[in-house]
Amino acid sequence: MTDHSETAVLGKDSAPVIAEEELVEGSSLWKDAWARLRKNKVAVGSLVVFVLICLFCVLGPFLSPYDSNAQDLFSGAEGPSADHWFGTDTLGRDLMVRVMVGGRISLMVGLVATVVALAIGVIYGATAGYIGGKVDASMMRFVDLLYALPFTIFVILLMVAFGRSMWLMFVAIGCVEWLSMARIVRSGVLSLKKQEFVEAAVSLGYSHSRIILRHLIPNVLGPVIVIATLTVPAVMLLEAFLSFLGLGVQPPNASWGVLINEGQANMEIYPWLLLFPAAFFAVTLFCLNFIGDGLRDALDPKSAKD
Amino acid sequence: MNALIGNPQEDFLVLDEVKTHFDMGTTLLTRESKGVVKAVDGVSLTINKGEILGLVGESGCGKSTLSRTIMQLLRPTSGHIWLKGRELSAISDADIRSERINFQMIFQDPYASLNPRMTVLDTLGEAVRTRHPELKGDALRGRVAELLRTVGMNPFQMKRYPHEFSGGQRQRVAIARALAPEPELIIADEPVSALDVSIQSQILNLLKRLTRELGLTMIFISHDLSVVRYISDRIAVMYLGKIIELGDAEAIVDHPLHIYTKALMSAIPEPDPNAERNRHRIVLEGDPPSPMSPPDGCKFWPRSPVEHSEELKTVEPPLVEMQPGHWVSNCPFCVGTDHQA
Repeated sequence: MTDHSETAVLGKDSAPVIAEEELVEGSSLWKDAWARLRKNKVAVGSLVVFVLICLFCVLGPFLSPYDSNAQDLFSGAEGPSADHWFGTDTLGRDLMVRVMVGGRISLMVGLVATVVALAIGVIYGATAGYIGGKVDASMMRFVDLLYALPFTIFVILLMVAFGRSMWLMFVAIGCVEWLSMARIVRSGVLSLKKQEFVEAAVSLGYSHSRIILRHLIPNVLGPVIVIATLTVPAVMLLEAFLSFLGLGVQPPNASWGVLINEGQANMEIYPWLLLFPAAFFAVTLFCLNFIGDGLRDALDPKSAKD
Repeated sequence: MNALIGNPQEDFLVLDEVKTHFDMGTTLLTRESKGVVKAVDGVSLTINKGEILGLVGESGCGKSTLSRTIMQLLRPTSGHIWLKGRELSAISDADIRSERINFQMIFQDPYASLNPRMTVLDTLGEAVRTRHPELKGDALRGRVAELLRTVGMNPFQMKRYPHEFSGGQRQRVAIARALAPEPELIIADEPVSALDVSIQSQILNLLKRLTRELGLTMIFISHDLSVVRYISDRIAVMYLGKIIELGDAEAIVDHPLHIYTKALMSAIPEPDPNAERNRHRIVLEGDPPSPMSPPDGCKFWPRSPVEHSEELKTVEPPLVEMQPGHWVSNCPFCVGTDHQA
């Protein structure tokens, strides 16, 4: 503990300048969580695989000699070979480059829609929770209202009204996914708001935006990050589902959902057309779920099961 | 010695019939009122500059609500609060923010009162800048270091996070944060009750020293009488949202007038085993009534061992100055009778 003889009185002694380098570096909760995550072999392995898949999809098309939409009807529906590692589809397009390009779309849908959902959900939820009372009640009833809309019908209506477009799909998915984010952030803020450090921030006269941004949101970010990692695969599944129904990404553009849809049509004759995109999709979903689980255990050590 | 309600223009802190009620709302269908919790129900008090006023009472008597009302974290339902001639209770919510640097609070739980995601430097630096927004970099760090030394902590630890400190150290950081905006009034809401007994005395001595050396005025809230007796210049005893006895610390501890105060004081254990064996305890029966339906008249009659007259069950006795500076709720059945017998 501290020694009382050392204690000084405010203003009475001229404090020597404290050099930045002399300070004992603290270990933030984020740092601790990262250290815990690094010990989780499954999560780290998943992270590595996920990064590799991302690199494969993003950089791959530049290295491949084939164009994703170039048809070669003379070499249609060939199995995997030295020329076409994943084989070709019925129109003779190289499957590997289509998996890469499709992966770009799928991953982008997953990330963009999640980031949109995250931004709207965190700000909306934190505001509702912080203000509380009638404002909170009406803001959350609006969320309930959107929740009650059947998603598929909502998307079909959008497509019918505005025509099919990929951006519309982003909007539709974002509109659905921010709802649960907002609920989680709101309930987190509600319980944090009663904590004494928030009362202390109020009694120091900090502005509302400062209290929300510096004191509330960083403390609800843990669960939000976990939900976000688990939202990415959910969104990718939604995209695949919509594309499968023919409502999402339109041919000749590819996404993993579109490729799986094409593959299942011919799966008995040309199984590789289903196998490769489905394998990439499944591995990506597994990885994201393992990363999400690992993050949850790392950010909230109490929830970790031994 | 000042009057119960002093001169708002001259005295440091004046409370005039402060009431803080919580409306529990109405029932969903019948629209009947669910009642009103009268947490603070008419507190008048004058606090002098530089003194430590101890505020004691059972759980639920309204001590914390009163402290949050003075802090303007809750706005009073009625009544007035003046700090150095400014009526805080009349300042709008928007304008109160810039006033807050003049009065600060130390909270009960040092594990909950510091933001776990911010370093000590960030927490204290942010608080310092409420008074000195121009400080940054080396100057800000120097000021934070000064604050940490003031509360007896190693300034080289300022880049650490709250979870890397013990409870006592965290409470020191919380005290430093309350000092950072250079307030004149500090309200300490049970600042030691979450700490080990061995740490309690260190924190109490620190608070006492800071009050003296920095010329602060402090309202010290606790349910622990031995703690309040040690630190306070004057003591106010609260019961059911009201002050029922107020006076110098020695007078309240050694010569309490109200039976409730006597019962509280008789609950302090004696360090001397012989004295402890001979200690006469007044044991109170039952719990305090609900602040939603406080009794009429003398607030204490349902629990008093002395039967009250019908008049005192309906008409509330006023606080009167029995001895110079020693105020007590003037109920003849609670005051003056020889309860020791």
